[in-house]
Amino acid sequence: MKIRTEQFNELAAVEIDKARARPFLKMVPEFMYRIRNAGMPTLPDPPAAQKYAAAVRAEVVSRLPDLLEEFERNATANGAKVIWARDAKEANDFIVGLAKERGVKTVIKGKSMISEELGLNDAFKANGIEPWETDLGEFIAQQMDLPPFHIIAPAMNITVEEVRDCFMDKAGMKTPTVDPVELGYAARVFLRDKFHRAEMGVAGVNIAVAETGTVINVENEGNIRFSKSAPRILVSVMSMEKCIPTMQDAVDMLRVLIRNCTGQRISAYVSMESGPRKQDELDGPDELYIVILDNGRSQIYQDEGVREVLRCIRCAACVNICPVYRQIGGYAYGGAYSGPMGQTLMPLLFGLDRTKDLYRACTLCGACASVCPAGIDHPKLFLTYKAKDVQGDPQFRTGKRPAREAIAFKLWGMGVASSRLWNLGARLFRPFFNWNAHDGKVSSMPGPLGAWFRKRDLPKMAAKPFRDRWEDIKRRKP
Amino acid sequence: MHDVSLFVPCAVDLFLPEIAESTVTLLRRAGVDPVYHKGQTCCGQPAFNNGYRKEAKRAAKHFIELFGDDEVVMSPSGSCACTIKFHYPELFQDEPEWFRRATELAARVYELTQYLVDVLKVDDFGAAFDGRVTFHESCHNLRKLGISAQPRKLIAGVKGAELVPMNQEEFCCGFGGTFAASYADISESMAQDKVENYLASGADVLLLSEPGCLLNIGGYLSRAHPHKKAMHLANFLTENMKEARS
Repeated sequence: MKIRTEQFNELAAVEIDKARARPFLKMVPEFMYRIRNAGMPTLPDPPAAQKYAAAVRAEVVSRLPDLLEEFERNATANGAKVIWARDAKEANDFIVGLAKERGVKTVIKGKSMISEELGLNDAFKANGIEPWETDLGEFIAQQMDLPPFHIIAPAMNITVEEVRDCFMDKAGMKTPTVDPVELGYAARVFLRDKFHRAEMGVAGVNIAVAETGTVINVENEGNIRFSKSAPRILVSVMSMEKCIPTMQDAVDMLRVLIRNCTGQRISAYVSMESGPRKQDELDGPDELYIVILDNGRSQIYQDEGVREVLRCIRCAACVNICPVYRQIGGYAYGGAYSGPMGQTLMPLLFGLDRTKDLYRACTLCGACASVCPAGIDHPKLFLTYKAKDVQGDPQFRTGKRPAREAIAFKLWGMGVASSRLWNLGARLFRPFFNWNAHDGKVSSMPGPLGAWFRKRDLPKMAAKPFRDRWEDIKRRKP
Repeated sequence: MHDVSLFVPCAVDLFLPEIAESTVTLLRRAGVDPVYHKGQTCCGQPAFNNGYRKEAKRAAKHFIELFGDDEVVMSPSGSCACTIKFHYPELFQDEPEWFRRATELAARVYELTQYLVDVLKVDDFGAAFDGRVTFHESCHNLRKLGISAQPRKLIAGVKGAELVPMNQEEFCCGFGGTFAASYADISESMAQDKVENYLASGADVLLLSEPGCLLNIGGYLSRAHPHKKAMHLANFLTENMKEARS
C-alpha cells in the first residue's frame, strides 16, 4: 500500500474545497450514522449489546495467541491450509506465488481492506495476473485508480457522471447513461465474465471462529460469496485480531457489527467457510488457504497500553460520526483505513514518525468512542501516541517534535508550577497579544497561532484578569 | 453549606473573566459563597493533550497541592474539570502517593451546571429573556461527564426563553485546543458548520457552557456574523437576572 499520511494537510484541504462544492460528504456519513441509530434499537438492549461485544473483543485481545492456535488447528482439521505472514511482503509472495504455480490468470476479489493494506492488487499486476474488484464501489475505485474513500462506501465521492465515463471507457458499457440501475447492470455483465474465468478468489475475513476454524464474511452484494464459491482456489486473508472464541460469540458479534455498520439486523449475505468443498457438497472451492497477517500487530499486542486497538471490528461507526472525517473524507488518511479506526491503527503499523497527523488531527471530541461496539477509547489512544511521540519510543518509531514546540512547553512547564512566574508571563504576553486589538478583539497575529485568525477573532486579553478582580468581588459579598 | 473552591481555567481568567464573575454570582444566589485560591495557574490540559506529560505533571502537582483539601472544586469548564477527573490519575500511575491524592481529588471536581442542578438543586435563578435560544452540547461535558440535562434545566428556568433545537447540536465545533491553529482548514470548516446550524435554528442566542467552544464559535461569529451572539450560560443567566449582579 502506498502510505501517503505525510500529505495529510494537503489532501485534507483539497477535499474540504471539494466537499463545499459537492454535498456528498455532508450527506453520506450522516445518512449512515442515522441508519445505524435507527438500527440499534432493534436490539432489545442496545447499550448492553455494545458492552457485551466490547467484552468479547477485550477477551480476544487478552488471549490472542491461544485463540489463533486453536483456530489454526481447527481450520487445518477442516482441510484448509493456514499460512502465517509476518508482513505484507510475505503475504503477497505467498498469494502471488500460489497463483503463478497454479497458472492463475484472473483473480476475483471481494472488498477487503486487508488486501489494500497488503497492496495485493499491485503485486498481482506486477506478475501479469489480473485482479478484479467485484464490490461495485471498490470496482469503480479500482477502475479509476483511486484508493477507497470510505471502508463501506469506497466510491461514495465519485459522481454518477464520472462513473458513467469510467464504465464507457473501461467496463464495456455501450450506451452512456447515469441511471443507477443501468450502471449496476453494466458492471454486473462486465464482471460476470470475470467470475466465470477466474481461477482464484481472494476475500477478506470479518470474523474467524477459533472453535470451529470457520471464516465469516458479511456483505450486501453477493460478490464476496460468489468470489468465495466460484473459483477453484480461495485465499481468505485475515489480520490476526479477527479471531474470536466461539460460534456463539460470532453470532452475537454479527448482530452488533452489522447494526453498527449499516443499521441492518443482518446483512443480505453472511457466508461461512469451514474448510474447502467436501465430497458431498455442491459448491465451494477445492482449495482453501487462510493467510493470517501480522504486519506489526503482534508488536501492538505486546504493548498493553495500546493493545485495545486490536479490538476493532471495522464497522465504521466511528468513521461516520467523526466530525473530522466529515470534513475531509477518506483520502487524507493516506491508507486503507480512514477515520478514527485508521487513526488508531495505522500509526502503530507504519510508525508514529510517519503518521503524526493521523493522531494529531483530532479535537478529542470522543464521538468515535461513544459509538464503538468494541469499547475502544480512541482519544485516549491518540493521547498515548502523542506522549510516546514526545518522550520517544523506539518500538513504534517516534520522530522528534519541533524544537519551538518543545521549548514552548518547557517554559510553560516552569511557569505553571509557580503562580508568580505564571502571572509575570501573562503580564508580559498581554501587550504583544493585544497589540492589534480593536473593539475589544484581536483579528490577526504573527507566529504559530496565526492560522486561528484567518477566519476567527479572539477577545483581547482582559486588562484585569479574574485573579485581580477577586478582592473586589470578595468585598461585594452579599 | 459546602466549602466550594473556584477553579477558574486560565483561558477564563485571562480572556473571559466575566464567566468566572458570573459563576460567583450564581453560586452566591444559590447560597454558596465560594473561596478562590489566587495561586492557581493552568490545569495542564494543553501540555497533556500535546503529549508533554512531564510538564502536565508539574501542573497537576501544583493543582493538587493547592486544591487538595477543598471539599468541592467547581469549574465553569467541563473540559478542564475532565483533566483533573480523568487525566490526573492517569499521570500518576507510577507514583502511588500522588495517585491517591489525584483520585481523591477527582471525585470532588464538578462542572458548574452539574453542581448547581445536581448538588445544590437550583435551576431557577430568576432570569427572564424574551426570545429564542439554542444550546451547543460541548464534547467533554456531554460524552465524558454526561452533562446535558443540567444546562437545559437551567435554560428552562429562564422565564420567556424558548429553547429551540439545533441540527447536530452534539457535534464538535472544531476547537480542540491547539488543533484549531494546527489544523485550521478543518477547524474552520467545522466551526462554519456549527454556525450554519445555529443560524438555521432561528435562535437569537447560542448558549453553551464551555469556554473553549465559546472562543471558537464566538470567534467565528465575530468575524462572519457579528450581529449573532454566542454566550456562556453563566453569563446569560446573570445578565438576564432581575436584580443587579452581586
